[in-house]
Amino acid sequence: MSDIGSPPDIAGLSLDGAAAIVISADENRMLCEGMGVAPASDGQAHPSYYYTATQIGMRLTVRELCSHCDFDVENAPMMATSEARYLAPLMTETPYRVRGQVDSLIRKRSRKLGAMDLLEYRLSLIDSNGATVLETFNTWVLPRPELS
Amino acid sequence: MMLALGETLTTPEQAVKPEMMHVWAKVLRDPNPIHTDVEAVRARGLGDRVINQGPGNISYIMNMLLAAFPAGRLAGIKVRFLDNVFGGELVTPSAVVLSIEDSPEGRRFSLAIALHAEGRLVLDGDAIVLTPSV
Repeated sequence: MSDIGSPPDIAGLSLDGAAAIVISADENRMLCEGMGVAPASDGQAHPSYYYTATQIGMRLTVRELCSHCDFDVENAPMMATSEARYLAPLMTETPYRVRGQVDSLIRKRSRKLGAMDLLEYRLSLIDSNGATVLETFNTWVLPRPELS
Repeated sequence: MMLALGETLTTPEQAVKPEMMHVWAKVLRDPNPIHTDVEAVRARGLGDRVINQGPGNISYIMNMLLAAFPAGRLAGIKVRFLDNVFGGELVTPSAVVLSIEDSPEGRRFSLAIALHAEGRLVLDGDAIVLTPSV
């Protein structure tokens, strides 16, 4: 079996957001209507914003995060697993800060996908009172066909 | 509607709309071209239709749960993405009630969740929904 090398050591890389993120009520309405569901009347955001809000509010863009992994986003990263723990409903028009970090980046060989890197990271949403309202843990597959 | 232990929840199959992937791409600020450009999908040998975003796939499950528990809220969800979901495919979300417990936060439903696309299992996992205590 050929040597597939090692990915960059980015475990511990901070993903803390520099500024607060606000889930726009208009954007939430657009998303809900596109899915054919009514937006909540009490200002709650669609629960899929656990992923969207943390991704937008973290320090790096998707492209930048991939770049830290020495991976070009044009090579199509894929979600492998995702977990969310809601400690409170997510609200529109409410500022949240994002805290988080990369947990690991591991290179492995998959029977289905060939050589690939697995990126694991965690993010939290913190409200203006300092309370954690959401925790999420995500794993992405970064295909490395050039190493197969 | 109050689900019972072991009961299965599902919805009619739904078509995955390629135009919705453009909405997701905008909302997610996601430049990954496999969601919006079929040529990018072909070039990567991933098929000949655009590929739905992961949060879009999860949302079929979430919307089913929100409809089934109108007074409840999602407290947790954990999924594995097992296969790609392509534009135009018909998907069917489902959930099975694994346990029902009363807790200080309310009634807690644990569910096994799944999403099928054209008969393929493409996502599975579990979810927790909290409803007000009866």
